[in-house]
Amino acid sequence: MSVRRIPKPVLVLAALVAGAVILIVVQLAKGAAGPVSPTLLRPCVPRAAFTGGGLSGVVQRVVLEGLDGAACKLGTTREELVLSLSPSSNSQRLDRKAIEVAIRAGLNEAIDAERRQGNIPAFLVPTLHQLVEKTPFDKLIRGGVALGNLIP
Amino acid sequence: MHAARSSLGVAVVAAVVGIAFADSSIVVLALPQLYGRFDTTITGVSWVLTAYNVAVAVTAIALVLFVHHLRAAVVLASGILLFLGASIACAAAGSLEFLIAARCVQGVGAALLLAGALPVLVALTGSAAAAAGVWTLAGTFGAALGPALGGVLTELFDWRAIFVAQAPVAAAALLAVRAAPEAELAEGWRPKLRQTIPANVCIGLLFGALAGVLFLAVLLVIVVWGYSPIGGAAIVSVIPVATLAARPLERRLEPLYAVCGGALLLALGLVALALLPSSAAVYVVVALLFCGAGLGLSVPFLSRAALDTRSDLPRTGTLTIGVRHLGLVLALGLIAPLLASSVPAAGHRAELRATAVLLDAPISLTTKLPIAYDLVGLFKQAQDGEVPDLAQPFNAHGARNDETLASVRDELVGTIEETITRCFRPAFFLSALLAALAIPVALLFRRRLVA
Repeated sequence: MSVRRIPKPVLVLAALVAGAVILIVVQLAKGAAGPVSPTLLRPCVPRAAFTGGGLSGVVQRVVLEGLDGAACKLGTTREELVLSLSPSSNSQRLDRKAIEVAIRAGLNEAIDAERRQGNIPAFLVPTLHQLVEKTPFDKLIRGGVALGNLIP
Repeated sequence: MHAARSSLGVAVVAAVVGIAFADSSIVVLALPQLYGRFDTTITGVSWVLTAYNVAVAVTAIALVLFVHHLRAAVVLASGILLFLGASIACAAAGSLEFLIAARCVQGVGAALLLAGALPVLVALTGSAAAAAGVWTLAGTFGAALGPALGGVLTELFDWRAIFVAQAPVAAAALLAVRAAPEAELAEGWRPKLRQTIPANVCIGLLFGALAGVLFLAVLLVIVVWGYSPIGGAAIVSVIPVATLAARPLERRLEPLYAVCGGALLLALGLVALALLPSSAAVYVVVALLFCGAGLGLSVPFLSRAALDTRSDLPRTGTLTIGVRHLGLVLALGLIAPLLASSVPAAGHRAELRATAVLLDAPISLTTKLPIAYDLVGLFKQAQDGEVPDLAQPFNAHGARNDETLASVRDELVGTIEETITRCFRPAFFLSALLAALAIPVALLFRRRLVA
């Protein structure tokens, strides 16, 4: 009984097809099917705190936790909330008054959380709460670019 | 002496055939420059590309009705003259409307010259089969070479150089036509055209898939990943290289294996382009190699099957020119809206992810805020459809000497590129589907194809 041999050109073609399939498999293994990083986290679920030290670290931690709290109240993500603050953004427009209220509440909760962890001295907390209540967030947001120019 | 003159004539006519096919995609890498020069929309600038292909397809299909009644040398010469004049007009265009109109005329000229070139090549080579081989090779190689050639000319000179460079080749071809012996072909209506339909359907599908390879890959590499036209040209130049490299294998394969295997390789290459895991050029290069090899395996045999070299070369040749460009135009008509519809949502997802990267970046507020404002400013300044240089604000604030800042920069640029790259996925999959559809058509009509 003779076995029919596969012609060499057909074997080369099969090798090429196998090479293309291997390329696809390698790409899938390298994350082509997975989500693009970073994934946007749900704001109502606690996330790892910002790790920076010093005053800048504390301020950023308060702001980020405050944004999370505000986004949770508004039913959106932290990133969507930040983008919706920019007048030029295509992001879904949220009610400005609701944003202001949510941001104030979020920041106050974040200040309290930082105090409980000992990152903010207790005597400063009432002043910071007052600062949050008095800060004209809407005007600050609209004048953001000018403010940014003041920072070296 | 006569043989040398004939060889030179064949080479020049083959060159002008290659250029006419290359023109389908030659301006792809110049589109961003044209977009800036004429202050237009993406749709507006895309007509520089589409107008040519529509003009070739319509003219060629109309020519099928009467091309066999015309003298091939006259058709070729008039085509070259139109093509030459229109190329010069394109190079001198002062407005987008004029450029698009000149591209239409260039397309009409290309259809005439491609139709007339076949019989003239028969006269020059002395064999219909040899002529069909030269014409097919020049066409396949030209179509695959187009973007790379246009990219190099655009970066070295200007987009106008693309059209200026075509003029001497067209002029030389005109001289070759004058010296060519009269083409003697059997003429008159023959019921052979129907025989070529399966091969032409396969060619139309494969050229539709080629639109995905050429236009989507180029757009991705240049516009989204920010490669220069020469860098983009270097990447897409692997297509013609692989097309040529596949020729020896194509000759040794049985036709059905070559067609189905080639279409499968093209489809798999497009699937690989759809599933890019990152914006690393190496994946694109390897995927394009498979696409080029697929074209090199499938198109030559299909082209021979689409040409009736025994009795009806002018009409079958003209029909296949029309079908190729029709495939390109129809695929562009499907791919462009699909891509356009997914870009805005992808752009927003990219903005959200970039915001997440910046918010969580382990850098000081005094660096983070100015970079954020600079990024907002860059997006405001960027024209519609343009991805700004997002690394620039980071570099301006010391990313070159600060590892942490450099890693934030790379993460932000990477997430934006990756998100936009993913939105090309449906369009690449659609192109892969077009290539894959050629396989059942070839299998279904295998007897007629092989006959």
